[in-house]
Amino acid sequence: MTAMITPVTETPQVREAGATARALRATRRRRAVRALTATTGLTAVVIGLFVLTMMVGSFRLTAQEVVTSVLHLADNPSVDFVVRGLRLPTALSALTVGLALGSSGTVFQQLLRNPLASPDFVGITAGASLAAVTGIVLFQVGGLAVCLLALGGAIAAALLMYVLAWRDGVSGYRFILIGIGVAVFFEGITGYMLTRAELFEARQAMHWLTGSVGQASDAELKLLSAALVVLLPLAVLLSRRLRVLELGDDSARALGARVERTRALLLGTAVLLVALAVAVAGPIVFVALVAGPIANRLLGPATGGIAAAALVGAALLLSADLIAVHLLPTPLPTGVVTGAVGAPYLLWLLATTNRQGAGG
Amino acid sequence: MTRLRAEGLTLGYDAQPIVRDLDVTVLDGKVTAIVGANACGKSTLLRGLARLLRPRAGTVVLDGRAMAELSTLEVAKVLGLLPQAPVAPDGITVADLVSRGRYPHQGWFRTWTDRDHDAVARALDATDTADLVDRPLRQLSGGQRQRVWVAMALAQDTDLLLLDEPTTFLDINHQVELLRLLRKLNGESGKTIVAVLHDINLASRYCDHIIAMAGGAIVAEGSPAEVITAELIAKVFGLECVVLTDPVAGTPIIVPAG
Repeated sequence: MTAMITPVTETPQVREAGATARALRATRRRRAVRALTATTGLTAVVIGLFVLTMMVGSFRLTAQEVVTSVLHLADNPSVDFVVRGLRLPTALSALTVGLALGSSGTVFQQLLRNPLASPDFVGITAGASLAAVTGIVLFQVGGLAVCLLALGGAIAAALLMYVLAWRDGVSGYRFILIGIGVAVFFEGITGYMLTRAELFEARQAMHWLTGSVGQASDAELKLLSAALVVLLPLAVLLSRRLRVLELGDDSARALGARVERTRALLLGTAVLLVALAVAVAGPIVFVALVAGPIANRLLGPATGGIAAAALVGAALLLSADLIAVHLLPTPLPTGVVTGAVGAPYLLWLLATTNRQGAGG
Repeated sequence: MTRLRAEGLTLGYDAQPIVRDLDVTVLDGKVTAIVGANACGKSTLLRGLARLLRPRAGTVVLDGRAMAELSTLEVAKVLGLLPQAPVAPDGITVADLVSRGRYPHQGWFRTWTDRDHDAVARALDATDTADLVDRPLRQLSGGQRQRVWVAMALAQDTDLLLLDEPTTFLDINHQVELLRLLRKLNGESGKTIVAVLHDINLASRYCDHIIAMAGGAIVAEGSPAEVITAELIAKVFGLECVVLTDPVAGTPIIVPAG
């Protein structure tokens, strides 16, 4: 409550003309300032972390050395080798995968109106994992082939769920339940695949399944970056429609939204984003789950900023990579760190959501 | 000319139609109540009129054109609807929610204009919710929350407004308050209002026109004085009752007999 707002009175007619418009303007301005501040701050944090991940390691560099090398401003062969050759691909992978997971996760959560509806849980990641592990175990493939298999698996899983959930349109609740079922089914088959694997392939498959930003090849990164340039602005552009879909199908249709078409478009965008992220880095858990809620904390409740969630995702993944590779005594895959941080959050979410009764 | 009417309308969700071959004309500039027993098809009819349900047969005509030929955005600029159980994202504030009612008036890239601003401010003032703009919807009472939803529908700035059971879950005071609000909106801006209502006495008191439905068909329609008779209530609700005259407004009220 601010001073702009007149107190509740018995005779509301005495309200000064234009006072409401002024209060409204003040509210909107406050929100815009907060969104701008948070997004700018997040961008600064992401850039900072991006540079920092390239500074630390057995060969320490200054921020200036990193920046000049990345931007091709100076010529220093040994620095260039470490930065552009070794560290930039990993940093770029953490950045792009984080952006993709964060934006995809928040679109899923808003679209399916459930904070638990992150792509980790609704079978898309499981589809990618099954395809990738099958490729590694049965066909001994690696590199880009695994990436493409995972991409195909994720998209196939999403299509399967969409078809199964369709009944005069797709309702959020059905999609989530079917997604969980599909995830469990795929995970079962993935487990079976692992038991059939030779030791070498099993190790490779397990490593892929943990998720790591350090395993991305150049071609994979190019693919993901190019896709992000198209999909992220598209998602941001669609967010106006997403805000109407959040009000339920009836309200959205009454407000003039083409509900099924918009939902398919948004789901398609979010599925492609998460599929590419998983294809490049493996199933890195919890980033997609927590990015949206953290962004909402920063921007204000129900603001649903997709750009902010993408930035939160990138910041989380860059931090997780820093912790996994540099702060722990033995370097671990990134997915282990995000899992260790994310699991308690999930438990907290389940406990509080049930208490509010807002989970379904 | 009437702006909204339906001809030979058949509506349903599964194989079995709920509303069958129904003709209806919504009176311009009036407050109309649709009444009837549970599962008589009154909400289905409202959803059909608001093109939330595609007709199996027949057409809904809006401003002389078949609704199926109009884009959803064109319809949304003329016809607003408050659904029975609207949902809102967790933590949403009143200002945010009511502002979302401006969706049909905004394009892909068009930003917020003064017209949007004024429409939202007017909607808040009309529903007496201006003091709540910064409050989360979750924290409001049932009556306040329903007024905020009406405000969102008003921000849409349509000449026709349909409401599906807007008084359900409200206590009697808030029911009356909401119906008075609808009357006020009708009186001040000549808005055409159609509401599905459960309470016959409130419908009789606050509405100009009553459409009584049973078994997916219209049984009677007209002014409250014409429609509300002991025979009709027996036919529509299966309730034996006595019709009295409201000592305050002079409209008919029903009292269960025996």
